[in-house]
Amino acid sequence: MDFLNLLARLADLDSTAAAPQPAGARRAALGRLGQAGTALLPGLLLGALSQPATAGTLDTRTRLDVLLLVRQLAALGNELHSRALGLVPGYTALPLTAAEKTGIQVIREQEVQRVALVSQLITDGGATLPAAPRYDFTGSQNGARAALYPDIQTNPDTYLLVAQVLKDAAVRVYKTQVEFVRADIYLSELLLRSHTVEARHASHLRTLRRQRGATVKSWISPDDAPVGTTGTAVARVYAGESNSVQAYSAADNGALTSVPFNSTLPINVATPPLSPEAILRKVAEAFDEPANAVVATDVAALFTY
Amino acid sequence: MSNIKQNASEEAEFAKPLYTPIKRRSFFMYAGATAGATALLLSGCDDDENTNVVPNDGTISLGSGDVGVLNYAYALEQLEAAFYAQVKATPAIDFADVEKNYFNQVAAHEAIHRDFFKAAITRDAPNQIIPTLTAADLNFSSIDFTKRASVLGAAKAFEDLGVAAYNGAGKYIKKADYLVIAGKIVSVEARHAAYVRDLISNGSFANEEVVDSMGLDKAMEPVEVITAASGYLKVKLDASKVGK
Repeated sequence: MDFLNLLARLADLDSTAAAPQPAGARRAALGRLGQAGTALLPGLLLGALSQPATAGTLDTRTRLDVLLLVRQLAALGNELHSRALGLVPGYTALPLTAAEKTGIQVIREQEVQRVALVSQLITDGGATLPAAPRYDFTGSQNGARAALYPDIQTNPDTYLLVAQVLKDAAVRVYKTQVEFVRADIYLSELLLRSHTVEARHASHLRTLRRQRGATVKSWISPDDAPVGTTGTAVARVYAGESNSVQAYSAADNGALTSVPFNSTLPINVATPPLSPEAILRKVAEAFDEPANAVVATDVAALFTY
Repeated sequence: MSNIKQNASEEAEFAKPLYTPIKRRSFFMYAGATAGATALLLSGCDDDENTNVVPNDGTISLGSGDVGVLNYAYALEQLEAAFYAQVKATPAIDFADVEKNYFNQVAAHEAIHRDFFKAAITRDAPNQIIPTLTAADLNFSSIDFTKRASVLGAAKAFEDLGVAAYNGAGKYIKKADYLVIAGKIVSVEARHAAYVRDLISNGSFANEEVVDSMGLDKAMEPVEVITAASGYLKVKLDASKVGK
């Protein structure tokens, strides 16, 4: 609700503050990436904060921030899957079936491609790639605290769960990041096209888990078994996903209206009619909800030290 | 057992072809007083002002600007929903249980997407919404609904096309709210696409047919998408002004 308004506002601000790019001015746009972090941010912050509704929950990102985030998540995924497949020295391959390995290899390969593409864009734009982080997928921060997933390097169920959470987080977070690169058509489309690949990966990982007996659909559903203790970074990946209210507004910054799925829409033509609850559970499945970048970076932080 | 039966009947409702128009009065009552007032104004407009007049050759213009994009999405969701409704009404004889289950669930999602767009356009641009596509407007003659392989192949084609359509239309959407909405829907379509691909051939969820060597999914222009979908349509759709 307010969130949608915020996005709308940020998009407007972005296009004015960053000066609209003519289509095809990709290099020029990327050339500004390096400075964008300092030049763009204050304008966005001041503009957005002047709107009372947005105070407190602000998430602003430059193009560079977005590319770095995409790279961070793809690199993390690459390392997770590479270790699971036994491609990293010191890590024994998980006992996955041949069919499972085939699919995971596809995911890993596309993570590698994503890292390469985004790294190229970042360096072409004059920015520097961050040093490779150190990973510990048990979540123990290299023994500094109790492990969250102690058997991740031996138990395929644990590994697939973590892999699914990371993908679902990426799918949610990409949706909000598109807003911050809208002035650049090339980057917008790159993000959209990466976003649906992330969703394909998430779907496949969920299917693999279901085939191994987990209660999970290939899409995010209120019927999925919970994956983490409420309030933890992992559980927050699914916070709000059961939302069954879809709102839209007729005018920019206009009042938002909820689509009355459970009452007056023709979807409910049965006799006797479906219960509103039954419809809304399906509505929740039919839409993936956006989430701020912090949802993904919090999960990434569990496995990085 | 009773639970299972109840579920089955729940699923069945989504499969019905829904040609009932939205009851505008109750819709706007729900939308609240301000919206209601606007609605009265808008419903006072003469029908002649509808910009989507069907010309003599029967071509339906999807319109221009953001409304064009919404109509475009609405047309595709109508097509998908009608396909899934047909599969549910006459499931293939050789479906495995997981396949029948897939179609039951996705039929609901697609009907919800279709109705969402109908509601959104009816509210935002009531004079520019394209007509409901009826059975006479669709052409599923190339699909053998009795055969699992034919139906799964068609589902794959619809879902992949939907993903490429939303990916290619993103740049034409001006209003941020609409882009968010498209993003909420397209990832569910991609999840469907991946799963139906895995049903056909395990591990093909993101193969080279749909994901290129840079790890990017397809994006198609509205006109290309409508051309690709034209085999399933008797009515002609004009997407040339979508987003413009």
